[in-house]
Amino acid sequence: MAVDYDPTLINKVFEVTDPVTVTPEMIQKFCQGLGETNPLFTDAEAAKKGPYGGLVAPPSFAVTFRNGRHFFQHVPRFGRAGFDAGKDAEFVQPIRPGDKVTLHSHVKEIYEKTGRSGTMVFVVVRSTLKNQNGEVVAHIDHRFMNRT
Amino acid sequence: MSTTLDLHCHSEASEDSRAPVEAYLNWITLRRAERPLDGIVLTEHRQFNRDADYRALEDKFGLMVLRASEVETNYGHVLVFGVNEDILARFDFANIRLDAQELIDEVARLGGIAVPCHPGRPNIGLCEHYLTKPALQNVVAVEMLNGGSRKGENERSEELIQRFGYAATGGSDSHLVSLIGLCATRFAAYINSIDGLVRELKTGSYEPVDFRPKRKPVARAVEAEAK
Repeated sequence: MAVDYDPTLINKVFEVTDPVTVTPEMIQKFCQGLGETNPLFTDAEAAKKGPYGGLVAPPSFAVTFRNGRHFFQHVPRFGRAGFDAGKDAEFVQPIRPGDKVTLHSHVKEIYEKTGRSGTMVFVVVRSTLKNQNGEVVAHIDHRFMNRT
Repeated sequence: MSTTLDLHCHSEASEDSRAPVEAYLNWITLRRAERPLDGIVLTEHRQFNRDADYRALEDKFGLMVLRASEVETNYGHVLVFGVNEDILARFDFANIRLDAQELIDEVARLGGIAVPCHPGRPNIGLCEHYLTKPALQNVVAVEMLNGGSRKGENERSEELIQRFGYAATGGSDSHLVSLIGLCATRFAAYINSIDGLVRELKTGSYEPVDFRPKRKPVARAVEAEAK
């Protein structure tokens, strides 16, 4: 029997977070935490001469934004138990100081597979990060595995 | 002139692999002395990547890139070579409950060949299913060497193949760039297309080859260290 779910769930945005304003200090702390020394991310003056014309956040900064409070209520569950099976990040354009970032989350895909340990159902929830202009800056795909 | 192909690997088109095809080809080129391959066959999970065009990469690296699929059945996972529109119309590759006997028979009728893979693996290999269900009919070849196998799994596969007289293939089952080509299949004939591969797979004139580095015995390793 194939996995049973409501197909209207797919691609329907279930949550949009309140905007988070990115500050130079947030980028600075992130770089310090990672030991990042690239002047594009750490030196505002040097970054002006760079390809982005100013300071930008390192690409992986995109994964620091939290999903909304009700995120997990909207993640479909199957079977007995499951766990976080990893994340994929696609960086679309740089995040800059002053950007107001919101996360728009939807179920992207539900699929089954079989492995050594049995049958699994995977749920992929995509959080699309947008700036204050509605431009997509990144996609974060959260992959959840359910053991059936 | 023989042909050596890795018959089982996954590119980033499969959801659980992050390996770009170009990186695979580059890795093989850098390690050609250890893994003398003529090409690879991409066997993406539960799909056929029909629109992919690797001709530019083939020219750049002088390696063959063929496309196939790995599907899931009631007897475990099966590689399907020679996928065509008729086969795609006949089977939903996303279905993890395909009937293995039907798949083997129909793929053969429609011009391809279905090869059960990693038979020694629990749950998704032939060996375990043969304990409780009748053996499949019309199987020509089964994957004997799988680069992703755990201890004992390839040995179980070999026993099964000998018992039933199947032809044996090899493939890395690589999901990571550095694992490409660790196991492969050496064909007696020259192959330069998917049709040629299907034709040769049906003849049985090939053998699995193992390019995995051999571990030194501990005593020798210690001796070498001391020198």
